[in-house]
Amino acid sequence: MNGEDLIERVLREGGRLADEVEVFYARGQSVSTEIKKGIIGTAEESEAWSMAVRTVKDGRIGFSSTGDPDRWKECLDAALASGGLATPQQWGGLPKPANLTGTASSSDGNLIVAVEDAAGMVADLLSGAAEHPVEVVGGGANLARSYLMVANTSGILYGMDRTVAAVSLEAIREQSTGYEFDASPFRAEIDARSVGEQAASLAARSLGGRDIATGRYDVVLSPVAAASILGHVLLPALSGRNVKAGRSFLADKIGEQVLDERLSIYDDPFAPGLGSTVWDAEGVPTRRLIFVEQGVLGRFAYDLKTGYRYGEGSTGSAVRSGGDPPGIGMHNLFVDGPRMKEPGDERAVWVHDVVGAHTANPFSGDFSVEISNPFWMEGGDLVEPIRTAMFSGNVFEMLRDIGGLGKGTRRVGRLTIPSIRLNNQQIIGK
Amino acid sequence: MADVRYYDIRCVRGEITLVDIDNGVVESAGTSFFDKTVIRVLGPKGWGILTRDHVDIDSKRELNNLVEAAARLAAVTQDRLDLADAPRGVLPVPPLGEDPRDVDLEEKTRLLAGIEGAARVSGVGNTRARYTEGIDSVRFLDSSGNEYSYEAVRSGFSVIAIASRNGVMQMGSERDHITTGFNLRNKQDLGRKAGEVAVSLLDAKLPKGGTKRAVLDPELAGVFTHEAVGHASEGDLVREGASVLGGRIGERIGCPGLVIVDDPTLHEFGFMPVDAEGVAVERTEIIRDGILSSFLHNRETLAAVGNGIAGHARSEHGAPPIVRMSNTFIENSDATYDEILAECKDGILLIGSRGGQVDPGRGVFQFNAEYGYLVEGGETTDMVRDVSLSGEILSTLHNIVLVGNDRKMSPGYCGKGGQSVPVSDGAPHLLLENATIGGRGE
Repeated sequence: MNGEDLIERVLREGGRLADEVEVFYARGQSVSTEIKKGIIGTAEESEAWSMAVRTVKDGRIGFSSTGDPDRWKECLDAALASGGLATPQQWGGLPKPANLTGTASSSDGNLIVAVEDAAGMVADLLSGAAEHPVEVVGGGANLARSYLMVANTSGILYGMDRTVAAVSLEAIREQSTGYEFDASPFRAEIDARSVGEQAASLAARSLGGRDIATGRYDVVLSPVAAASILGHVLLPALSGRNVKAGRSFLADKIGEQVLDERLSIYDDPFAPGLGSTVWDAEGVPTRRLIFVEQGVLGRFAYDLKTGYRYGEGSTGSAVRSGGDPPGIGMHNLFVDGPRMKEPGDERAVWVHDVVGAHTANPFSGDFSVEISNPFWMEGGDLVEPIRTAMFSGNVFEMLRDIGGLGKGTRRVGRLTIPSIRLNNQQIIGK
Repeated sequence: MADVRYYDIRCVRGEITLVDIDNGVVESAGTSFFDKTVIRVLGPKGWGILTRDHVDIDSKRELNNLVEAAARLAAVTQDRLDLADAPRGVLPVPPLGEDPRDVDLEEKTRLLAGIEGAARVSGVGNTRARYTEGIDSVRFLDSSGNEYSYEAVRSGFSVIAIASRNGVMQMGSERDHITTGFNLRNKQDLGRKAGEVAVSLLDAKLPKGGTKRAVLDPELAGVFTHEAVGHASEGDLVREGASVLGGRIGERIGCPGLVIVDDPTLHEFGFMPVDAEGVAVERTEIIRDGILSSFLHNRETLAAVGNGIAGHARSEHGAPPIVRMSNTFIENSDATYDEILAECKDGILLIGSRGGQVDPGRGVFQFNAEYGYLVEGGETTDMVRDVSLSGEILSTLHNIVLVGNDRKMSPGYCGKGGQSVPVSDGAPHLLLENATIGGRGE
């Protein structure tokens, strides 16, 4: 008993002891091949199973999870005990079955979770990297398929397939490193050869960088660098929980111009992507959410718990992984707006990635990070590598007045984002 | 199974208890259960690795099937790995002062609420505290006939306070985690400290970026040790050619007298009684008297690279073992804190850590302080905030001018290869010259 029969049993038993019960069930299989010394060194296959149980009784929410189906009763008891300690709150019930009209796909029927296929992707990565004079020092390929299910005592029983194909490669030439990666639900979208070539190109071209003097410069953040900095600061500020708890810089700013008018930010769960889904992790139907439109803040994201507590209603923004409790998140987030010629002609410091984005202050938006693979950019071309430098700024201030958005977009995890040009930023040389 | 040169099986079964209190509201308080097994087979070339939930490792038949499946995976590998011989043995686990399992969840929640409440000093608008307790039952066996089991108990908390005024928001945070028993009693002081730091940061200045003298407190100097030296000394990165320290054993990379150690035997948060591939753990001096003397190794990287000690393999539940740090620190020297400040004259004192990151191949690292003070004429003056430090591994250790006599260890979690493991870092106060300070002050 470890599938739908178990879910039904937990709902039935739990329903006798609590007002409502929810089960989130996940099982999955993945294979990966890892590069060592420029060839395949390790092959891994993983099977995971988890069941998370939430109980609601008199507005008290309890939670537990288990990776062992035989411990389902202990897990249910632990959820009920946990509910006994939680502070009671306003609660309007778990969702009832809805007519799910949207369509979303984050599953590729043609993706086969086979180690031979992952090995083939590594061969493509390596053949791409071989186009430049570098050493490959890491990377690999991963193929995964999972099945997620949410069920509750209000009658919901939704199930969904997810697939992921992912590759990465790390190259070095002397003391110059390059790292590139890509991930998609769709196997055919992954061009492993190109990822390998790009990583190697970064390492090869960054060699021999010259020092930069401390001062103010125009900066172009690549989609990777932009995603890293925005992901640690801007995204948490859109979570309704942080807003209501007084932890968001954007709280009380609905209707205000908070970003440059050329910036819009929206979550589109129906677009193809790693987070595409028509129901969220609590079984609430998802919808397209425009958080920022032409720089004006429109709304925040809520799950059931935060939504009921503050009278806002869920926005279908609950996400979770495996045996974790649900939290507020994004499905497929887009940073978008009118584009300029890639990405401006004036001389600027182009930044591929940053080191230490997680040390940014998520409340004030202040950060100072080390930059990776910086180049002088002229007329849209990378003309000369820069050795190393720090970049200091404030996320909210720098996004109020941007130089513009680059033409291409790139998917970086659950975020799809173009390059962003910023005017007059603080660079600290060495 | 002719193609199996070696196999091992590591099973971690246990419970995680979490309590989350946000602005006085008990958001969640409960226990979850996990049961993860990793089976590794070394084939003619490299590793085949299987990860499963809930394996009956006492069933011979189930184990045989898993080893065969892992051997089939190993068949696609090409890079020939060998395993070095290494000493075996398991240290006793430190006795628990108070077993967290003897304290009921209600009392844990009440104690955490006390710490969270203490952070709510005047001027603080939001407080949040989290208690984390892990009980791991570990079993290991391998094809060489080694077998061991032990139990690891971890208990600790973090507390964060956010103060705001006129649209400015600042935070203070504290944490304390131990492996030697229940760790929530009499800790309100840490909550209060988080609150007071948050409030005082509202009036702190943004420092001007540039090159200057910097004094690091023991917590930040510990993160510096971890990021600037620890990662680059990991044998897997050295083997792959991804560390600037590769090939530099015997070279002077730091000032005379400098000693940097990784010691999994200490009863700090990174303690382990035996490593994740069954190898006995021991103190490893990475740098001795300023000279690079050892790498941190597991069995395969020791065989490939040499120059160091195996016993540094660690893994998160359900993940394969990789080379990791445990308790990493700079040994005490003889300078007092007052001497260090006086010698600094004009510079910056940096306190606490918001984390850091390193690119070991390029040899560049970055880490961030919670706050700091300007140092003028050997005295601390204005408080500063949002300040980070970056540097280059090969030059930065030469820039240590003075090493203090007041080493302290701080617990934390370290991420590598998608796995997070408990570690501690520490050092005495340090004086650095030519430190690159990142700050956006004018």
